[in-house]
Amino acid sequence: MAKPVEAGSAFAFDEARPKAVPDSTTRPAGGGPPSIGDQPNWRSLEFGAIYEEHSRQIFYLALRFLGDPTQAEDATHDVFLKAYRKLGEFRGDSAMRTWLYRITINHCKNLLQTWHQRHMVNNADDSLWETAVASSESPLRVLEIKELGQRIQKTLDVLPEEYRLLLLLVADQQMSYEEIATLTEQSADAVRGKLHRARKAFVAQFQKFT
Amino acid sequence: MDPKTAKLQQQQKEETVEQTGQHQAAREFASVEEMLREDAAQTEVPPALARRVADSIAQEPKPPRSWWQRWFARR
Repeated sequence: MAKPVEAGSAFAFDEARPKAVPDSTTRPAGGGPPSIGDQPNWRSLEFGAIYEEHSRQIFYLALRFLGDPTQAEDATHDVFLKAYRKLGEFRGDSAMRTWLYRITINHCKNLLQTWHQRHMVNNADDSLWETAVASSESPLRVLEIKELGQRIQKTLDVLPEEYRLLLLLVADQQMSYEEIATLTEQSADAVRGKLHRARKAFVAQFQKFT
Repeated sequence: MDPKTAKLQQQQKEETVEQTGQHQAAREFASVEEMLREDAAQTEVPPALARRVADSIAQEPKPPRSWWQRWFARR
């Protein structure tokens, strides 16, 4: 369920104040009841609540999948705009998070495809990762927590795109194997098998960056 | 005390402090997922993004309402 929009968020702020009019002209200094013109627009407030609840995970997926903060910010913007335009198509037969992830994945894959075509970059042979020797059970140790993001990004960058995506999705506790399977168009058993290999590949690569 | 020995002891003491400091900052994750969750929790969405999305949405025409919105509106 979407949480209410926090006061002070961009969405709440937008609805409380008509464009190009200073705040002091629309609200009494002592803060009185809002006028009819200040009544919040339900559609933006509702969407604001959706943004508040899911933006962190959508941005994180875009960030680690694309590996570039600026691209991730643009992608997150585009994803929420697409979601807003398609809100009428959301039938509620999947969770809102899953629906947003689907838009994000398609958007990011398109971006990567365009980027790869432009730069003529080929992914390493995925079969190389089948032989990763690290155990996925071994604990991962980091000395400096502030370096965690950089090391994770470096590690994800060299993993096959599918492994990267599966690991990022399974890290979200709201996502079940079945939902991930639907999102990635494969069976839940296939997801489990690939995740096992993805974890091993991640650990093997992560340890190289120690 | 021999100055060389004192210096060596001081050096060893400093190294121990450094190592202890590193040990305190170290963090172990039981799984890849746990590590990624910690990373996600530390990742902040750029604050200007909400405003940017809100501005873009303000320029959009009203989207069609979904079946469940229409259904609730009738009740």
